[in-house]
Amino acid sequence: MGRHDRYDAIIAGAGHNGLTTACYLARAGLRVLVVEKNDWIGGAAVSRSLHEGWTYSNCSYVCSLLRREIIRDLELPRFGLQVIPYEGGATFTRDGDYFAYYSDHDALRREMARHSAADVDAYARFSQAVMRQCRFIRPFLLRNAPDPTSLAPRDLGEMLFLVKRAHGLGRRELGETLRFWTMSIGDFLDEHFESDLIKAHLAGSGIIGTGLGVYSPGTAYVLLHHYMGDVDGTIGAWGFARGGMGAVSNALGASFEAAGGTIVTGSGVERFVVQGGRVTGVVLENGDSYDAPVVGSNMDVKRTFLKHTDRAALPDDFVRAVERFKIRGSSGKLNIALDALPEIPAAPKGAPFLRGDLHCSTSLAELERAYDDWKEGRWSADPYFDMLIPSQIDPTMAPPGRHMMTVFVQYAPYDLDADGVRSGENWTDAARQAFADCVFDKIEQAMPDIRRHVLHAEIRTPRDIEREVGLTEGNIFQGELTFDQLLFNRPVPGYAKYATPIRGLYLTGSTTHPGGGVMAAPGANAAREILRGLGKANRMPDHAA
Amino acid sequence: MPRDAFDVVLLGGGHNGLSAAITLARKGRSVCVLERGDRTGGMARSTQIALGVEAPEVAHLLYNLGPRVARELGVADLLETPPLPTVSLAPDGRHVVIEGDAARFADGTAHPDARAFTELSARLRRFAGILARLSLKPPPELDGGLTDMATLGELAGLARLGIDLKRLGRRELREFLRIVLGNAADLVLDEMPDGPLAGALCADAVRGNHVGPRSPGTVFNLMYRLGNGGAPRLPRGGMGALGEALERAARAAGADIRTGCEVARIMVADDRVTGVELRGGAVIAARAVLSSAGPLQTMVMAGVGHFDIEPLRRLRNLRCKGTVAKVNLLLRGAPAVTGLPDDMAPARLLVAPSVQAVERAFNPVKYDELPVAPVLEAVLHPPAGDGRCVLSVNVQHIPHTPAGGWDDAARDGLTGRTVAQLAAHMPGLAALVETAQLLTPADIEDRFGAPGGHWHHGEMGIDQILTLRPANGLAGYRLGVRGLYLCGAATHPGGDVTGLPGRNAARQLLGDGII
Repeated sequence: MGRHDRYDAIIAGAGHNGLTTACYLARAGLRVLVVEKNDWIGGAAVSRSLHEGWTYSNCSYVCSLLRREIIRDLELPRFGLQVIPYEGGATFTRDGDYFAYYSDHDALRREMARHSAADVDAYARFSQAVMRQCRFIRPFLLRNAPDPTSLAPRDLGEMLFLVKRAHGLGRRELGETLRFWTMSIGDFLDEHFESDLIKAHLAGSGIIGTGLGVYSPGTAYVLLHHYMGDVDGTIGAWGFARGGMGAVSNALGASFEAAGGTIVTGSGVERFVVQGGRVTGVVLENGDSYDAPVVGSNMDVKRTFLKHTDRAALPDDFVRAVERFKIRGSSGKLNIALDALPEIPAAPKGAPFLRGDLHCSTSLAELERAYDDWKEGRWSADPYFDMLIPSQIDPTMAPPGRHMMTVFVQYAPYDLDADGVRSGENWTDAARQAFADCVFDKIEQAMPDIRRHVLHAEIRTPRDIEREVGLTEGNIFQGELTFDQLLFNRPVPGYAKYATPIRGLYLTGSTTHPGGGVMAAPGANAAREILRGLGKANRMPDHAA
Repeated sequence: MPRDAFDVVLLGGGHNGLSAAITLARKGRSVCVLERGDRTGGMARSTQIALGVEAPEVAHLLYNLGPRVARELGVADLLETPPLPTVSLAPDGRHVVIEGDAARFADGTAHPDARAFTELSARLRRFAGILARLSLKPPPELDGGLTDMATLGELAGLARLGIDLKRLGRRELREFLRIVLGNAADLVLDEMPDGPLAGALCADAVRGNHVGPRSPGTVFNLMYRLGNGGAPRLPRGGMGALGEALERAARAAGADIRTGCEVARIMVADDRVTGVELRGGAVIAARAVLSSAGPLQTMVMAGVGHFDIEPLRRLRNLRCKGTVAKVNLLLRGAPAVTGLPDDMAPARLLVAPSVQAVERAFNPVKYDELPVAPVLEAVLHPPAGDGRCVLSVNVQHIPHTPAGGWDDAARDGLTGRTVAQLAAHMPGLAALVETAQLLTPADIEDRFGAPGGHWHHGEMGIDQILTLRPANGLAGYRLGVRGLYLCGAATHPGGDVTGLPGRNAARQLLGDGII
């Protein structure tokens, strides 16, 4: 017989969203317990020391989307969160040239002109268009998604908010918004730019984390999803959390504990206990059980309902909808300890853009072909990657003079093909090593001596991410960001407001609106709905203003 | 001396140009249709493949001409033919026959996924029927304020649409909103395992467009096809009969139709259209010009200097990559299809063995390469008196111009591949071929003026339909200069032989009070 206790609310999963929900509930005066299967908190926003002296942000690796309202509400800087913006980035070509992205406007113009004079003007139009969409979407992030099928007063209110915002755009801009939300990033870039290299550099944000190619309609929205954040108010900027992405989770955890919350690690939820259509608590894998009238699951919708909930307690339609929810593993990662900064012959030594995101994909066609491989169950022979060396800016990541490099790789399938059979089981150690070798081969395009500097490399396939973090198929967004799974369709039509068919059981993770990224908006929104369900809506900070 | 002044001059005698001509002439306007080729009908016309044998030049089936529009245009009697069954050919010979919402194996046995197919197909058809109502009117512009009559009319139309959707019931409405922007592969594979039945649905979802089944937006494409039920038909007398019937109807209504007349430029003075100048210098004056040519081509003919830079830029960026080639085979005799009873021969034959096969066939076209195993839609037409017959084939996912160009090797390769793929199901087909005609997307652009060789004069993506067709700000058929209108497939509601863009543009012109 394990431990037993009783709380006002339990959150299953100490990822950044679950912790965010927990923080808001604790600050509203509830007695809150967070349970976590790993021995550490953070989910996919963690800093882990897997090679002595080095800290890896071994899942998410950069920060921008975390909503500033939440940072303020939960006083995250007071609990240690510091986000340092990085400047620029670059894409290296096979023939020793590069395109550098600078946050300095004039430097960027000069660099663009070096590749195409026309693209300098195009960039002005491009960034204006994207910024307009960012401004349009940001107010929707911390609200419920408008539900066009509902006539309930609150839903009508959300619809009215949407209609007012849309009307405010004017006809031309409304048309542009409809277009932008439904087109592919490839087509959007093609209609602005002429330089293949510039297009390839900008296109990455349209596919990161998805099972879509640069020419799949809907990827312009994915780009927006990566641009709508900010660092210290600079929209679209990205930064490093000092100490790795675990700093976000640790700050949330500290904020939660300061508000009186309890975190129990080391054993995950075995099942949600349901009685008479209502959740009454959780039973953990180690036999401990906890009771609470409110339970938030920070796991994705498939894991929550198909693995940890009694199917008999759920309507058939709902189960069917959960089964067809698409969560596709498409990305892998390498976390590398380096004995020194690798040589980058193409770039001037110490160039500021080397402290940002580095890539080696030089055309949209190359990126699209990488996607074609993935559709067939293979990792991309010529992969896209988003590579950073945060230790250049954040000295806490590696010993002095040494460096830590993070390489986000796309595409890598979850169910790898081997002789015509597709299965996660096919990710053998040999397959993982071959995958890593393929990535290293391409990194050599920019850093010819990279292999010589590697002290340790952690190889993470979608399968590994699923196993460790618990994300189904290792999908970083807890569900594809396609139209059929956004807004009122996320995760299940009719259940887009964090509540589920089981009374008292809520979803808090990025499987809900507005989706993935270290944004914490789903967690905050879920907290708002939970408090409203308890009749304590007034204890939630008001962001409407 | 032919007359040289009309109320309206129409560029292009395709099905849309003729629909516009009929609509305008019936309202008593003087109309002149100028067709560059020697036959009208556009992509719905027929061509002589051998002495005394006609073959459908491009479009070989009718599936999206609504009964209401057919009546309006006076061609309803052509549609009184039974719909053709669809046969999705299976590599293992277990072909699947689709008739309406029902599916079975060709040998008459029940298909294990028949029920799932029926449900899905009926649901899509129901949704499609509601969406199709948007096709009969210009897309809503919602330009004026709430006191503007036109805006109120549009709002009323949208409200009616909303009520129709609401009538579906909340559950179905949610399903509609979930799938409408989705991709066909997921939609279909959620309901049934991959195979020839799923492949057939996905082949229909991508036909004519530069997309694969996994591309978001293909569910909408499928619904668009089903807007008028989607049952494929050979019109009475063959596809060519439709173009001829439209031409007769236009002439009967008083339209002047001139073939072999190429327009060199559209004349504009003081920001209004004054007429057209033909190649050779003859001038025809008109108060309005309707063009079924591509939007950018129309702008160029009028002189880009007359337009704002923004619409010009938008039209330059119109997504418009033609992806369907046409192969017409003249055969010495009717081929037998292995595993298919002889009485099934008048069918729409599909080579789309699985969703994955369709997606694989799509991959190469993205890089201007040719597919190894293209998706095919073939129709065997009734034999001529001497027993010879025409097998017409749409070959999907063919680039406008492959890397290296359309040299003889590339052309023969494509024809050969098409024949070989069909011969897998029609033993001895190669030996039956007397003549093979190939129209690549590049040829289609040359012959029909379709921009990019695209069937629909512009990709039917979600970002290029309704108020965004052909481009944001250009959706009302009017093209910047007073009196200049677009009436081709690049306008709302889009491609297929529907007669709608032409008819809607003509009605817009009449409503604008210019003529």
